[in-house]
Amino acid sequence: MQHVWIVLGVLFVFLNIAAGLIWVERRLLALWQDRLGPNRAGPLGLFIVLADTLKLFFKEDWIPPFADKWVFILAPTVVVASVLMGLAIIPFAPGIVVADLNVGLMFFLAMSSLGVYSIVLGGWASNNKYSLLGALRGASQMIAYEVFMGLSLMGVVMLSRSFNLTEIVAAQEKIWYVFLQPVGFIIFFIAGLAETHRLPFDIPEAESELIAGFHAEYSGMKFGMFFIGEYLGISLISAMTVTLFFGGWLGPAFLPPVVWFFLKTFLFIGLFILLRASLPRPRYDQLMAYGWKLLLPLVLANLLITGAVALWLKS
Amino acid sequence: MNALISTALAGVVMMFAGLFIRNKQHIKFVAIAALLIVSVANLAELSTIEGGSRTVLGMVTVSHFSILFNAIAFGATLIYFLLSGSAFEKVGEHVADYFALVFFILSGITLASSFSNLLMLFLAIEIISIPQYILAGSNKRTPKSSEASLKYFLMGSFSTGILLMGITLIYGAAGTFNIEELGLGNGDINPLALCGIILLAFALSFKVSAAPFHFWTPDVYDGSPTVFTSFMATVVKAGSFIAFIRIFHGAFTGTNISAHWQLLLSLVTAATLLIGNFTAVFQQSVKRMLAYSSIAQAGFMLFAVISMNKYATQGIILYAAAYSVATIGVFAVTMKLKDYTFDGFNGLARTQPVLAVTTAIFVCSLAGIPLTAGFFAKYFVLTAAVQQGNLLWLVVLAVLCAAISAYYYFRVIIAMYFKQGEPATKEEITGGFKVMLVITAAIVILLGVFPGLLLNLI
Amino acid sequence: MGMSLQQIVFGVLSIISIISALGVILSKNPVTSVLCLIVTFFTIAGHYIMLNAQFLAVVHIIVYAGAIMVLFLFVIMLMNLNAEIEPQKRSWLKYAGAISGGALLLVLLAALREASVSSLQPGAVEIGLISNLGKTLFSTYVLPFEVSSILFLSAMVGAVVIGKKEGHES
Repeated sequence: MQHVWIVLGVLFVFLNIAAGLIWVERRLLALWQDRLGPNRAGPLGLFIVLADTLKLFFKEDWIPPFADKWVFILAPTVVVASVLMGLAIIPFAPGIVVADLNVGLMFFLAMSSLGVYSIVLGGWASNNKYSLLGALRGASQMIAYEVFMGLSLMGVVMLSRSFNLTEIVAAQEKIWYVFLQPVGFIIFFIAGLAETHRLPFDIPEAESELIAGFHAEYSGMKFGMFFIGEYLGISLISAMTVTLFFGGWLGPAFLPPVVWFFLKTFLFIGLFILLRASLPRPRYDQLMAYGWKLLLPLVLANLLITGAVALWLKS
Repeated sequence: MNALISTALAGVVMMFAGLFIRNKQHIKFVAIAALLIVSVANLAELSTIEGGSRTVLGMVTVSHFSILFNAIAFGATLIYFLLSGSAFEKVGEHVADYFALVFFILSGITLASSFSNLLMLFLAIEIISIPQYILAGSNKRTPKSSEASLKYFLMGSFSTGILLMGITLIYGAAGTFNIEELGLGNGDINPLALCGIILLAFALSFKVSAAPFHFWTPDVYDGSPTVFTSFMATVVKAGSFIAFIRIFHGAFTGTNISAHWQLLLSLVTAATLLIGNFTAVFQQSVKRMLAYSSIAQAGFMLFAVISMNKYATQGIILYAAAYSVATIGVFAVTMKLKDYTFDGFNGLARTQPVLAVTTAIFVCSLAGIPLTAGFFAKYFVLTAAVQQGNLLWLVVLAVLCAAISAYYYFRVIIAMYFKQGEPATKEEITGGFKVMLVITAAIVILLGVFPGLLLNLI
Repeated sequence: MGMSLQQIVFGVLSIISIISALGVILSKNPVTSVLCLIVTFFTIAGHYIMLNAQFLAVVHIIVYAGAIMVLFLFVIMLMNLNAEIEPQKRSWLKYAGAISGGALLLVLLAALREASVSSLQPGAVEIGLISNLGKTLFSTYVLPFEVSSILFLSAMVGAVVIGKKEGHES
């Protein structure tokens, strides 16, 4: 029975975080850009969340006549489903985890690799040239950065000798892996940005060139799914960063573990929004060159050195 | 193992050569030097083998036989580099990469001659195949080359799928990948194993272009750049045959099971001989004729697979050497001509007597005329079949087909010597090329008079 | 006729995988084919999990569903393939293919009907776990593992040779 509560709790908390991020993102952006942001509805403008969700729910559920109907419907569900599946393996506190898999880390990579389908299928099914361009960009961007993401995490696996996330967190009792794997952390975070296609890497959407890219034809709650999926993705990457590099639930005893976990996670969600507020978008070819010519050699070197040092310390 | 490691390293060296060496001629010299080093490394391993063979990690068994076969493959490739190496530059810009791919194919061939595990068989076949798909499509100026590449790739990967399925079924029956421990066919036949063997036979027949799995051959050989066709039809085909023989003679010898696949493969052999020879007769282009003749020659090499005795082993060694060297020679001459049809050869004896004489020798060897290497090669594989006892009908068929083959091979000689014409060459025929041709022809005749030079080494 | 939970799951997975595999070849629209193929890969990953090979299952999803099939979609989208463009194949070719394929199926089925599979050795169920797999890969199968790098290297060289533009120098 306890298990069911955990599943429901995770769903409830993360869907609410995703919705709440609508308000958080706008207020923070406004703060950094010297504006006020939404401040009319309710205290501190908090009811913007309600207003936005209601608007999405009550808009006409429109499918363009030229679109491929079933694929058009399938695309937005994929992103939400894959991210929610990814959340299943994160240990929020000792014993609070939906599925404590012994290949947890690989499972996370598998689920994040599936997210690309929502972009590709959505862009293709819309039957619109801007969407298609966005889909093509999205596919190559996400496949490329998936490689660096996977490789950047292997250093952590080498140190903790496990793919199980609970064990990885427990192994950081003495020292957080961010200090042992700084390069791994930075590359993972950059790859995470690209995987969630957030600014500055929002090349599949790129309002200024592609209108809204792969979801240009979407409206109503289908657009809402993409929207929620993006916020869920941010939360997932932040939670994974905390789990793998910042000691997960570990922290001084005056606060319970779950609170530590979410405090750290919110810090990284804030970082995501700060990056959006401060950085310009690179060109598509720059992003690819940056990935394959800089990140890949760097991450391989990191892996090599980590392995060598681990072997040296062992002998 | 030396051969495997050194060929792979040579491939990597060639990749870097393309980065640092601007002059394309020099790249060829680097490749030739690398091949010489590889050959020496291969032969150096002879002294380290005690008691006939050495097994590495239960995956690869290095023996005198495998080293000899590697040496033949490397030797034929050396002749190929010397005769046709300069044609690499005309295919495209990535000359060093083409050489690298050839070296990777060679490392696949060294695996094919020495694997003792089904996994390694799969790797060997794939390492041989994948670079070929690319070489076939390397000329990007003609759509024919891309078509050849795509066709080869699609059909080749399909046949690899069948190979894998066969390996899976055999593993299911035997519970091991090691070909010495399979132990099939003594006692009751496991239907799983039988299915696996049949699928394996299909897939390997495709790789050696035996009928009825030969349909890709003429298109691919015709569409690919001629210089790579020459390599694919010779060294690579011999390498695939070695894999074929190693797996069927090494693992499926149990008396109950060998009867099954022998019957199947003798039908394949008969079909290959008939289709290869009869279609070759009707070709107007020498390049296409050579493609069909390579199918016909595959029919003869299949004799070495279906007859399991020591003549077969000797026969395939001799056949691989004789066929590869002669075909590389004919291709080298063909590449120098502007017109690939038989008419393009008209009157070659008058304008280029050296080319004509050597071509005549190569063609005679392919037809199996005495005093050339091809005669003893055919003699040994057919003797092997006669020793086998129950294959006499097939031997008679083969002799008839050899007679037919004389017709289309001699058309080349007739064109060169008895017809009038002004054969146009693409470029100046250099003295060095002529010397190399003469040396190659001398090898063909030497092996035709003293086949023992090779056979005593086994 | 009681069926264990395992048998039921196996049956359901197998039925879905066969149906979706048929969908791959029967569907007129290439994108639908690809989607069916993805479903097939997921059911096969399910089979791996039933064999206690979790690592293989996850890698299967990452590599096939997550990367290769995306590239398939990519190519299909670029070529704008759809049912109308598909060339009409000659009908005798279809019949010939169906007959010869069916004949092979018949032969294999007839032969395999009486097959018996040797049982697994005890301890074999643990082999799919990630640490055991790693140890086996780097001890017993280290040679094929390393040799496959030649295969990948040649494929990479090939991709460059095929993909790179021929420049205009000389």
